[in-house]
Amino acid sequence: MTSPPKAEGGGTPVVGGEREPGKGPEGGQVEGRSPGRLMWIRFKRDRVGVVSAFVVGFFFLIGLLAPLISKVYGKDPFTVYADERPELFDSAGVPVQPNGGISGEFWFGLEPGNGYDVFTKLIYGIRTSLMISLTVTVAVVLTGIVLGVTAGYLGGKADFAIGRLIDFLLAIPAQLFFIASMPVVVSLFVSPRDETPTYVRVVALIAVQWLLGWMSLGRILRGATLSLREREFIEAARVSGATSERIIRKEILPNVVTPLLVQSTYLLPNFVTAEAALSFLGVGIVEPTPDWGQMFAKASTELVLQNDITYMFFPGVSMIIFVIAFNLLGDSVRDAFDPKSAR
Amino acid sequence: MSRGGRHVYAAVSVLAAGALVLSGCSKGGSSGGDNHKKDDTNAKRQQALIKFGDVAASTGPAAPVPGAKSGGTMEFLERDSPAHLDPAQIYTFAEATLAPLLHRGLTGYKATSDDGGKHEVVGDLATDSGTVSDGGRTWKYTLKEGIKFQDGATITSKDVRHSFERLFAPFLTKGPTYLQQWMADTAGTDYRKLLPDGPYQGKHLPDSVLETPDEHTVVFHFKKPVTDLPYALAMTGYSIVEEKGDTKEKYDRAPLATGPYKIQSFKSGKSMVLVKNDQWDPKTDPIRHQYVDRFNVTFNQQYEMSTKALIADSGVDRKGVSLQNQVDAGNLSRVLSDPKMKSRTVAGYQPYVGQININMSKPELKDKKVREAIAYALPVTPFVRAYGGEAAMEVAGGLISPTVSGYDPTFDPFGKKKKPAGDPAKAKKLLEEAGKSGMKLTFAYVNTPEGQQYSTAMAEGLKKAGFDVQRQELPAETYFDEVSKIHNNFDIFHTSWGADWPSASTVLPPTTDGRLIADGAHNYPQVNDAHVNSEIDRISTITDPVKAATEWEKLDKYLLTEVVHAVPTGYYKQVQIAGSQVGGLAYDDVLGGIDPRRLYVK
Repeated sequence: MTSPPKAEGGGTPVVGGEREPGKGPEGGQVEGRSPGRLMWIRFKRDRVGVVSAFVVGFFFLIGLLAPLISKVYGKDPFTVYADERPELFDSAGVPVQPNGGISGEFWFGLEPGNGYDVFTKLIYGIRTSLMISLTVTVAVVLTGIVLGVTAGYLGGKADFAIGRLIDFLLAIPAQLFFIASMPVVVSLFVSPRDETPTYVRVVALIAVQWLLGWMSLGRILRGATLSLREREFIEAARVSGATSERIIRKEILPNVVTPLLVQSTYLLPNFVTAEAALSFLGVGIVEPTPDWGQMFAKASTELVLQNDITYMFFPGVSMIIFVIAFNLLGDSVRDAFDPKSAR
Repeated sequence: MSRGGRHVYAAVSVLAAGALVLSGCSKGGSSGGDNHKKDDTNAKRQQALIKFGDVAASTGPAAPVPGAKSGGTMEFLERDSPAHLDPAQIYTFAEATLAPLLHRGLTGYKATSDDGGKHEVVGDLATDSGTVSDGGRTWKYTLKEGIKFQDGATITSKDVRHSFERLFAPFLTKGPTYLQQWMADTAGTDYRKLLPDGPYQGKHLPDSVLETPDEHTVVFHFKKPVTDLPYALAMTGYSIVEEKGDTKEKYDRAPLATGPYKIQSFKSGKSMVLVKNDQWDPKTDPIRHQYVDRFNVTFNQQYEMSTKALIADSGVDRKGVSLQNQVDAGNLSRVLSDPKMKSRTVAGYQPYVGQININMSKPELKDKKVREAIAYALPVTPFVRAYGGEAAMEVAGGLISPTVSGYDPTFDPFGKKKKPAGDPAKAKKLLEEAGKSGMKLTFAYVNTPEGQQYSTAMAEGLKKAGFDVQRQELPAETYFDEVSKIHNNFDIFHTSWGADWPSASTVLPPTTDGRLIADGAHNYPQVNDAHVNSEIDRISTITDPVKAATEWEKLDKYLLTEVVHAVPTGYYKQVQIAGSQVGGLAYDDVLGGIDPRRLYVK
């Protein structure tokens, strides 16, 4: 477990084990630096971390700007080019030109089958996947804080109840539960004459992932809170008459920021891959809504495998880069917060 | 994780990405070659009308296959193990594939060309395809001399009577029911009341229904004219079963063969061995050959497996072929683009025709202009693409398929052959004339990868014409139950229909007769048109098959131009492949696959 910086004596110069002073811009005189500032200094020095952060930022930027990009590019991911531009396809919907129909017009080629534009589909897919995963992460973090800190701080019956709830939810096989519950959750909202709206699927995806995603974070936060609860500064706060709410907000939460940040940078790529897995299995986002996992599902069909392996390249490489970058970023954040564990 | 570990992790991931880069190059296009030309000839040969053959045409032996040799063992790689061996229980395509080698009926289809494209209905066990009198109410058959079961017993009219009477027994539920319904003059399963226990309790059909005046003569008497009897009797379900050897339910495990081969062993789900039936006399059979000594059948071979084995063409697979399996969609282009492999393939039509049904019971779809707008707007290319392209699906014109007598290849009511991606401009105009622009259209689709793919693209095409398309997914298991309910929520949905024999009498009446509308019935669009109903009654009484075929085609045209209850999407096709030592390979359009009766080992 990481050492809560504040517990080391908030605001005072850095503790031992650090061998960084001496070089760098702030070398000369001893000056007070907040743990956050220290973390930032250490993080900036980690080249891998900085590159990863830029890559991750780039993905989020693409997701955010997808409509703008596609407007400039002049295409959207819903146009069935196999019907609009039949000369580019054979009768099975495989692009006639080599490498999946990559050309100056279609930068990443065309999707075998209905012939969607791969470039816009990919950036919109990133948008969908990141939006869902980010929402799940935020929901999971909030739930983890509320339940984890409550359990750790209150202890006793509350701790027992939340602990058993966590045990119970951890015992449910997550992937199987997703597959079984997604259609049920979706069908709860469907009206008989209308198409299942995409937002219903999105909400259902977020809901099932959130339900089974918060436990590990909750447990970690509970443990952290539990160890903090007995510390002197908490006791001092209690003796001085602070309310529980104030103690949690002002004393405990700032001290669990480290595990929280580190865990959530690990959680988010996991949710991205889990969401992709669900769509891959056909229970998540379905056509024509663009989605990363759905592109993998398409890429794994015999039609694509045998005729247009290039297609696999774009969702595959982009997801590998994203997940690695995010994991490396998580490592760097962790290292920056807690340099001892890295060396 | 330590820093060192992290670098290894990164390196491995980069390698993985590199592998993707390397594999990420592909050549364009899927199917090479010009299948188009061959398909045109396929379609052309289908215009030939099927005749009912006379005594000369029904006399054996069958014309020899050019270059055929006797002897050798052949391998069949099949997917589905037959659940039934009793011919009266056989109806599905997969089960019927081996039946032509084993069982004979009163009539059969004789291929009159070596490519399996032209056919004639001839007498198989009978001397001709049947003598009709009394305007189609009476059919007389005479049995040939020298026809025997595999146990050596001669086939007599008693066996024929028994074969048809046992169809009424309660344990026979899987076979076709046309003949029984004609005999009892009822629809549905009420025919069983005619002879509730079959012949097993000593009761028989009265002479007013089925008459066997002597050992060689069988006479059918029907209350209403029956024009399609020779077609129906050629179905495997109406093959002849020995009275003496009938073991009732147990017959399903060990049937007695009448054809050139008999079952030596059968392990359900695993294998079957067919050997020559020495009691079969080629002189009595105008349809079958007996070149191969032995067939080894292996079951549980999925399409990819059998295709890969036959592509590899090594060992016993060189003498391998599959009657059920087609070349799977993924390997199709590879097979067709390699001339060496392509030469080992045959292609042809399956009997199914796909159609988008327009639910005529919906008030907003009562307007013919709206239905026409749907028909013109609908792109059929998504459907063709989803099933593997031109080699697996042909853009359809009418509802009568190329495998059915009377097919008209020039009929193209909605211009789909010229504009398969639809005509949104024309559709938009029609919809505006009807004043229904932006109307909501609920499109039910079957939740399979194909269904998802074609429905999204079709919806996109319909949207261009101004429809507000609402796609509704239905699970594959209950799809047909849902769409065949009278009160359903769906405006348009896709179904396909296959003819039971090459006459439109098994296509148009069950799918468009307004008097047959019921939950679970096959009139999916719920057409109820007075002219259609009366025409069905009229054409059903025409005894000349050639004349009837042209009349059915006229009704097909009326339906699609005046009623507009459906939009035909595609004629199903398939490509099958065989090992290099398989001779006599031909795609039989009536069987809907490779003809096993003419195969020989090179």
